[in-house]
Amino acid sequence: MALVDRYLHAVKFWLPRNQKDDIIAELSEDIRSQIEDQEAAIGHKLTDAEVEPILKRCGSPMAVAGRYLPQQSLIGPALFPIYSVIIRSLVLYFLLPWMLVWLGVTIFSPDFRADHPGAALFASLKPWWLACTYSLFFNTLIFAVLDRSQARLHLVNDWNPSALPAVRDRNVISRGSTIFQLTVVVATLATWIQLDAFRSVFHIFGTTLTLSSRWPVFFWALVVVSLAGIGLSCLTLSNPRWTRFTASFRLGIDCYSFALFYWLFRSNMLQSLSASGLSFADAANFVRSFNQWTASSAIWVLIIGALVAFFDVRRILRVGPTA
Amino acid sequence: MWYTVYAIHYMSPSTSTDTQNDDRFENLRQELRRGSLPLAVLAALRTEHYGYTLRKTLADHGMAIDEGTLYPLLRRLETQGLLVSQWREEDKRNKRFYRLSPDGKLILKQLLIEWKSIHESLEDIF
Repeated sequence: MALVDRYLHAVKFWLPRNQKDDIIAELSEDIRSQIEDQEAAIGHKLTDAEVEPILKRCGSPMAVAGRYLPQQSLIGPALFPIYSVIIRSLVLYFLLPWMLVWLGVTIFSPDFRADHPGAALFASLKPWWLACTYSLFFNTLIFAVLDRSQARLHLVNDWNPSALPAVRDRNVISRGSTIFQLTVVVATLATWIQLDAFRSVFHIFGTTLTLSSRWPVFFWALVVVSLAGIGLSCLTLSNPRWTRFTASFRLGIDCYSFALFYWLFRSNMLQSLSASGLSFADAANFVRSFNQWTASSAIWVLIIGALVAFFDVRRILRVGPTA
Repeated sequence: MWYTVYAIHYMSPSTSTDTQNDDRFENLRQELRRGSLPLAVLAALRTEHYGYTLRKTLADHGMAIDEGTLYPLLRRLETQGLLVSQWREEDKRNKRFYRLSPDGKLILKQLLIEWKSIHESLEDIF
């Protein structure tokens, strides 16, 4: 019976202190009765090997003890859906993009790799790990506390059907946002044209800036993409729903725009700078630093562009071929 | 009702999804029986039993229940005041005997009426 005693001892470990002996006495009686019945049926004392299946059928000690405990959960079913949405949003819109940006910078930026050699590269992820740990820990803690407080009852019971949010069609484009975008693009375009921004040399507040020969090309290309944007806004004003055509058009405009900015940022945008009181050496230093900064920032243009394109592609897939 | 459920189960043609169907059937069967267990236990305890004989009585009537389910259920019913228990020696061993309390008798009567009403409703639906 040593095996039965070992089993009961293991069950006892998980039981509530004030019920341990009572529960074990009852369970022990049941198991011993089963063994006696079986012994009477086969006509000899059961060996440990024959007792084993009886104990296996009873269940693992932890599972058996668990049935005597009240059902417990850290966050109950009333609050779990909200908790789950918050955690998923946190991962999808914060932690995952952060990780993708880190990967992008690590892969595409030799400067970043040079600044963080060997283990320092992984050490640069420390803020990400801290953000993961703290955000998950504090969210879980807050919801666990809420679940045990009166706030849970308030959240679950005090609700009004007419206060529920309206059903939102994600394929509908708000006319307000279209008009806003249209206004911004038209105003920017008009200002640029009025300022003759297609030149390479600018005189601003006593300073002369000479931009790269790519600037006029960039300017006209940007005019074309802005006109395409105006065209898309007019289309969505007449039919304020995403269709496969308008969603693909949006993707095209976004990819083209970000590629254009990436190309400009990598082009040593600033050629020279002169201003009264500024020495030639200082001006040359400023030009070099500025161009280095734009070149190293180009990767961010690419990463943000990739994220925007990702959401554009998702929109196209959501709209589907029939829309 | 059981006849209907078994008939549907056994009449289905043999396919590769048989195992999956068996699992689904088993889950639903257990869910159905789990809901009826407190009623079966209360009804069986109109006469006094200790745990092991109660299990055997239920099994003899086609309501087999494992010890890990029965004993926690007995404790819950006792905490709710529907059962009373007493440790007594029998065959040189200490055993805990359970029987219905006066409240338990009343609740059992109400539950049996409810059970019959559910049974009739289901028969109506079938």
